[in-house]
Amino acid sequence: MNLPLFAVSIYWDLPVLLVVVSLVYAATRHDRWDKILHEATGWGLRITLFLAGIGLVLYLLSTYL
Amino acid sequence: MASSPTNDPPLPPVKLDPLAALLSYLIPGLGQIYQGRIGKGLLFFGGLYLLFFYGMSMGQWRNVWLPDATELPEVAFAGQTLGGVPKAISYRPQFLGQVWIGAAAWPGVYQYISFDKTKDEGPVFGKFQRMPEEKELNELQRNGNKRWDLGWVYTVIAGVLNLLVIYDAFAGPMFREASPEWLTGESENANTDAPAPAAVASPPDPPPVAMMPVFPPPDVPSAPPTPPTAQGGTP
Repeated sequence: MNLPLFAVSIYWDLPVLLVVVSLVYAATRHDRWDKILHEATGWGLRITLFLAGIGLVLYLLSTYL
Repeated sequence: MASSPTNDPPLPPVKLDPLAALLSYLIPGLGQIYQGRIGKGLLFFGGLYLLFFYGMSMGQWRNVWLPDATELPEVAFAGQTLGGVPKAISYRPQFLGQVWIGAAAWPGVYQYISFDKTKDEGPVFGKFQRMPEEKELNELQRNGNKRWDLGWVYTVIAGVLNLLVIYDAFAGPMFREASPEWLTGESENANTDAPAPAAVASPPDPPPVAMMPVFPPPDVPSAPPTPPTAQGGTP
């Protein structure tokens, strides 16, 4: 069974980027850990949704065009 | 929102810290650790070094370098012919973002300064952050499954993020809050010439109006009726 999602792919490298960017950026805006984690969670979700949206658009373009 | 203009206590004045900024440039987070913000410093150190070296490993440790551009075609910018480091950066602009990671990118600078095209390796760091040959570069890009290119993007992001970390060490976070020591006036700022904030001079406690009974308790005898006077009394 072919599972392209689990194949060796550059997409598996993205969580490292996503987590580090969210945490570091949030930590440059606040000093309190509760606010850092809250803002980092928000940024992580927004970045994930953005990347997923771009991925979906590219998938649809490559599949139906 | 940074602060509301209503009832927030005034914040202490921003104290710029150039030494902490320099330390955070050298090693991400070192300036915050020097300032006593240990947790944030360790977060910056671990996060940015993880991102930078993870990106380097994605590129087979061959995607951070400053090229020797002496034999490359001339580059003109704004009517001026570039030479030396500006010319090298024009051929490898990624290094302009990578260099802000601090000491971790200094081997690339050293390799650029000590570059000898007649040798295969540099004097101290070997091939680490040394300009690869064109043949090797082509093989990395051809066989890397895009990870070589994505790797240098990671290193650039790590370097640029450290600019925010340097600013955090220099002037504090974007959204500041008054520390409890500042609000109670027991901080070391009280020993400086800085004006004391208005919040330190707390107003006297109001009387506990809400706890006072409005009416006398029922067991307290009320005032006796006024006896009739001679002038206005009944006969």
